[in-house]
Amino acid sequence: MRRLVTVLLLACAALGIAPPAQAHNVLISSDPKDGAALSAPPQQITLVFDQPVRQGYAQIGVTGADGSAWADGAATVAAERVTVKVKPLTADGAYVVGYRILSADGHPVTGKIDFTLAGGGAPAPAPQETGAGTDAGAAAAEAAANGGAGMAVVWIVAALLVLAAGTAVALRRAGPRTSPDDQGGSDDAPVRPGEGARA
Amino acid sequence: MTVTDAPREQRVGGSLSAGVFAVSAVVATVVAGTLTAQEAVPGIPMPGAIVTVGLPVVRVLLDVSAVAVVGLSLLAKLLGFDAPDRTEPVMRRVRPLTVTAAWAWAVCALLTIVLQTAELNPGSVPTLGMIASYVDTVGTGQGLLFSAACALAAAGIGLMAVRFGEKVPAELRIIVALFGLLPIPVTGHAVNSVWHDPIMIMMEVHVMGAAAWTGGLVATVVFVASRRELLAVVLPRFSRLATVCLLMVAMSGLVSGLGTMALTPGVELPGAILTSQYGLLVLTKVTLTVLLVPLAAHIRFRLMPGIRRGEATTVAGWATAELAVMGLAYGVAVAITRAAVG
Repeated sequence: MRRLVTVLLLACAALGIAPPAQAHNVLISSDPKDGAALSAPPQQITLVFDQPVRQGYAQIGVTGADGSAWADGAATVAAERVTVKVKPLTADGAYVVGYRILSADGHPVTGKIDFTLAGGGAPAPAPQETGAGTDAGAAAAEAAANGGAGMAVVWIVAALLVLAAGTAVALRRAGPRTSPDDQGGSDDAPVRPGEGARA
Repeated sequence: MTVTDAPREQRVGGSLSAGVFAVSAVVATVVAGTLTAQEAVPGIPMPGAIVTVGLPVVRVLLDVSAVAVVGLSLLAKLLGFDAPDRTEPVMRRVRPLTVTAAWAWAVCALLTIVLQTAELNPGSVPTLGMIASYVDTVGTGQGLLFSAACALAAAGIGLMAVRFGEKVPAELRIIVALFGLLPIPVTGHAVNSVWHDPIMIMMEVHVMGAAAWTGGLVATVVFVASRRELLAVVLPRFSRLATVCLLMVAMSGLVSGLGTMALTPGVELPGAILTSQYGLLVLTKVTLTVLLVPLAAHIRFRLMPGIRRGEATTVAGWATAELAVMGLAYGVAVAITRAAVG
């Protein structure tokens, strides 16, 4: 029993170090802010979370009061920030920004913020964003943080170590018993005398 | 098979206890999952009903079959090896069942990967390529894959145990089963701070303690409760294990649950326990754990002296009640891994 506990504690210790930091992400700020009353239409929506968002699964929708969709293209992820461009908003009124991102621990997180547009004049010409260039770098950084295949290797190595330890215990245990009288047991799984001495 | 077999009705009673556990786990999952579901957001496609209902159910079935594997593996250890003529008829039925449960565990883990891929790609049936990229990029997928591999290893070792009996050490079977549980908490909550590692270890302790406690009780009730002379040996052993598990589960659950909330930005601790969904789920689990104490204490302090003397007792009924509460706790646990903290 003590041996069992030791092995488990060691396995725990190894595992506690191995996995990367993971949790449900929480939205901590946004531009425009939740509930903001804007006088000029926003060019883009930026959501900021407390930890990096995973690449590849983020979605942002911008919906007008009449159900029309205003998001322009797919959302881009740069670490904690998720950004989407917005088509020029023409109508005043309430808009809802819905989002669904893949949080650091692998669970999808959904939520929404809203803002109202009042006195929306002609939108200013969209400034050229330089967000696209950061994507490749961000993906590489996330792969490094996540471990990618590296993490699977850690798991497998740890599994092999534990299995090896278990096999060693098994062999030590089986050693004295399989000696003279136990050879070539009959087929109907004879009742083995149990353990003998136990620590 | 022979005279040592329990009367039929008592065996049916044993399976009933296991059924009560599984059913209450699934029911609690569906109820808690429905109450805490993330509401639909305008402009974002959400996954269909197959995923929103099926994923938690498959996830809790994974837990139930893993608990079965751990418990059935533990039973060999609880029965001891000194009286094979009495324990071997039990073990001959337990060993094949362990293999079946391990296969169910592996299948549930793989199915969970598919459903989680579908959850992230709403509106389309997941293809092999999507599943591969999910496993490649998301740690949860890797964890589940590893869990499935451990379950298959447990099935393999279980087959060897079916063939070679107790020559396959019980500890090896227990360790492989518990090891398969370890990647599961990775799919739950942990926080991004220096407290990450302690909280992670607390979650591992929590999962293993709960599995050993619940699984041991299921196996004892189903296979031993109707055999008084074995119960007189097994229950005192299990009771010691259960006491340790209760302390482990309660402490690690409180630390990891409250710690996760304390370290999440925007969560004010004393109030958030009652106002946030996560806090209410933690509170539910604490209540269920507290509820287990009198049930377990009754078995341990009132019924155990009689059981030691080999008298007939109502232990099966009390243990079934305990299992029902444990099933509810397992169902809430699945909801808690999916609820948002903030």
